[in-house]
Amino acid sequence: MKQTIPPPLRSASVLTVCLLGFALGACGSGENRVTAGNRDGVLHWGNASEPQGLDPHIATGVPEHKIIMALMEGLVLKDTTTLEPIPGVAKRWEISDDGLVYTFYLRENARWSNGDPHNAHDYVWSWWRALQPALGNLYAYMYFPIKNAQAYYEGKISDFDQVGVKALDDFTLQVSLNDPTPYFLQLLDHYSLFPVHRPTIEKFGAPDERGTRWTFEGNLVGNGAFQLEEWKINRYVRVGRNPYYWGAGDVKLNQIYFYPTENITTEERMFRAGQLHYTYEVPVDKVAVYQEKGSGELQIYPYLGSYFYRFNTRVEHLSDRRVRRALAMAVDRQQITDQVLKAGQVPSYAVTPPDTMGYFPESDLTFDPDKARALLTEAGYPDGAGFPKTEILYNTSEEHRKVAVAIQQMWKQYLNIDVTLLNQEWKVYLDSETNMDYEISRASWIGDYVDPNNFLDMWLCNGGNNRTGWCNPEYDRLVLEAAPKASSHEERLEIFKTAEKMLLADMPVLPIYIYTSKHLINPAIRNFPKNILNQPSFKDIYLDPSAARVAEAH
Amino acid sequence: MSTALATAEKGSSLWADAWIKLSRNHLALFGLAVVLTLCLVSLLTPWIAPYGYEQQNLMLGASPPSAEHWLGTDVFGRDMLTRIMYGGRVSLLVGFIATAVALLIGVLWGAVAGFVGGRVDTVMMRMVDILYALPFMIFIVLLMVVFGRNIFLLFFAIGAVEWLTMARIVRGQVMSLRRQEFVEAAHSLGLSQWAIIRRHIIPNTLGPVIVYTTLTIPSVMLLEAFLSFLGLGIQPPQSSWGLLINYGVETMEEYPWLLIFPGIALSLTLFALNFLGDGLRDALDPRASKD
Repeated sequence: MKQTIPPPLRSASVLTVCLLGFALGACGSGENRVTAGNRDGVLHWGNASEPQGLDPHIATGVPEHKIIMALMEGLVLKDTTTLEPIPGVAKRWEISDDGLVYTFYLRENARWSNGDPHNAHDYVWSWWRALQPALGNLYAYMYFPIKNAQAYYEGKISDFDQVGVKALDDFTLQVSLNDPTPYFLQLLDHYSLFPVHRPTIEKFGAPDERGTRWTFEGNLVGNGAFQLEEWKINRYVRVGRNPYYWGAGDVKLNQIYFYPTENITTEERMFRAGQLHYTYEVPVDKVAVYQEKGSGELQIYPYLGSYFYRFNTRVEHLSDRRVRRALAMAVDRQQITDQVLKAGQVPSYAVTPPDTMGYFPESDLTFDPDKARALLTEAGYPDGAGFPKTEILYNTSEEHRKVAVAIQQMWKQYLNIDVTLLNQEWKVYLDSETNMDYEISRASWIGDYVDPNNFLDMWLCNGGNNRTGWCNPEYDRLVLEAAPKASSHEERLEIFKTAEKMLLADMPVLPIYIYTSKHLINPAIRNFPKNILNQPSFKDIYLDPSAARVAEAH
Repeated sequence: MSTALATAEKGSSLWADAWIKLSRNHLALFGLAVVLTLCLVSLLTPWIAPYGYEQQNLMLGASPPSAEHWLGTDVFGRDMLTRIMYGGRVSLLVGFIATAVALLIGVLWGAVAGFVGGRVDTVMMRMVDILYALPFMIFIVLLMVVFGRNIFLLFFAIGAVEWLTMARIVRGQVMSLRRQEFVEAAHSLGLSQWAIIRRHIIPNTLGPVIVYTTLTIPSVMLLEAFLSFLGLGIQPPQSSWGLLINYGVETMEEYPWLLIFPGIALSLTLFALNFLGDGLRDALDPRASKD
């Protein structure tokens, strides 16, 4: 007799198959998050890490950046394809002939997400707040092109009225600069220059107090296309339409969920199971799989970002530039990009990515193990003998671990030194780095605006994003004074080249590679831009359910 | 026993009996053989491993098993056989040291609490309850933060957490044994307290203790992998089975051998330990008949 499964068991096995299928994203009957999201206009976004905070004057990471971009808006936006400035809160602006005075005309219909009027005075107050030293704004130097902003920040003047920002009337804001700054309009789209809602901040603490509850769920008031609805720690941040937004009628999405997806393997599985529209990263070993599949979900494109290691120059043996140079020369970058990362990354020997506004950095750094050994011997560690205990710090992630393991072995092989690895969760890692509680630390810098200045002014003495302890007054002079006063674009780039050469000669940072953006993107996502800043415009994105269906049938 | 008559008056020791019983249990013998082989291989690894555990070959990358690399290579081109051998050293060390720590603290604590009883027992067991209530991950993380990251401290920290259940088991056993007739008989025969503990109490608690020990070893090995993943345990390029499996899971669709081989190594060890533990429990049970 033929064996048949008794009915109850059979339904159980159907259920099992269905559950299995669901895990693989193939179960026809169950509706997954993405399908439901396509229908309801809800975007599910892989966002790498739990945000450290949502205060635009304190945040520094890319995950925070993405959420803040949905919640708040600056005077100017960037066209997501050309990256040219387009009107944001300012509907138009005028620039004086000498390039020093910018006059912004703000929209009369701009509102905060609680309905409060939003006007020029908000900017004066917000920028005053951002320049309070006690706030610890890591991006304070972004304000330095503005007249007297640096002097005010450094306490040389105490009267904020002398700083070059004035509200001429409720809807006219005038900004005066020290020098013509070609990238100034781009800066205005950076969150460190975003306005914040004064009554909310003052309700939850002093204006320059860090970590108050004003950015929490239910408290935060912004001026962006979306407003914060829910923040479940380590689960998601949910934002929904802001009905008071000046362009609310054109916003297409209803909600966006930002998920912390620190484990990129899990993230890829979530994508396959229909839980994410967009992944922050793609595991190295999956790149080939998706390329073969040819579904168009895998998108790789250039990214204005530099991956490097910081040296803590206050650690005794790392304060010797010969040691830092030796370590940098013993890293075979080509092998790392070709064999470990395998997604079109470019080996880098300088901090600024090449062709940033026509700028190509010059570097004397090469992969040269012999010279590295010679330098190390010169520094007093022949054949690595007696090299002190050194640790590479990285934030928990598969890719950072891989790069670190490869570099660890290269140093062992070429220099005969042992280094250990230490991984920390994102927030802890940021704290360790900021407090200089590390020896060598993985780091990266993603362009906030397209200009070499963005990659070079972070290394100013005591700059909030320097975090290496390196300081060279001559370098500061070049970047802060000489470059802005340059008479032509070419001359300016030459000054940057000189500055970057000084930086590389001392090597407080060890350049490794230039990023590519690689994401898995659901075919239903429309209006998704592929710019080198990898900066989406959430108010323009929309979801087209029919596209997803075509892709599935395919 | 063939010599039962001749030795009846002399009596045979618990250990001799146990060995004879164990040697009749084939599964247990198999387990013992596997465990001994693993220990031997681990001891000799630095001399017999085919490659260095940190030796990379980035050009090769992840390759399936081949003549040069019997168990394949990982994404850095490191030989898997070598990595599993070195990983075994860490995993077995963690397993044995942490379990030994747990055993030592747990058995002592439980035996004292159970045997002395009364107020001492209450105080000691409430302390165990309090430690139980503490989320053990937080406890370990705290220990690691206070004492720094050191592989032996990690072993100790894990052991210091795992002893709680052991203490409860032993206490329960001792409490029930204390009131048994044969203990009272021993008392009435004038045996000293220590002699009673040694001759009667401890042998009688061995069974559950051994079974629990064999269960603790694998859970400790997995706990180590978890801690290492959080950055509190072993750091690359060193590895352990738990970590190898952890990494293997991430790429199991592309490079299944990175998961399968460490998985086999870990499961084989766990099976062997369980068989051995089962056999030992039967062999050491003083209540079992001495046929």
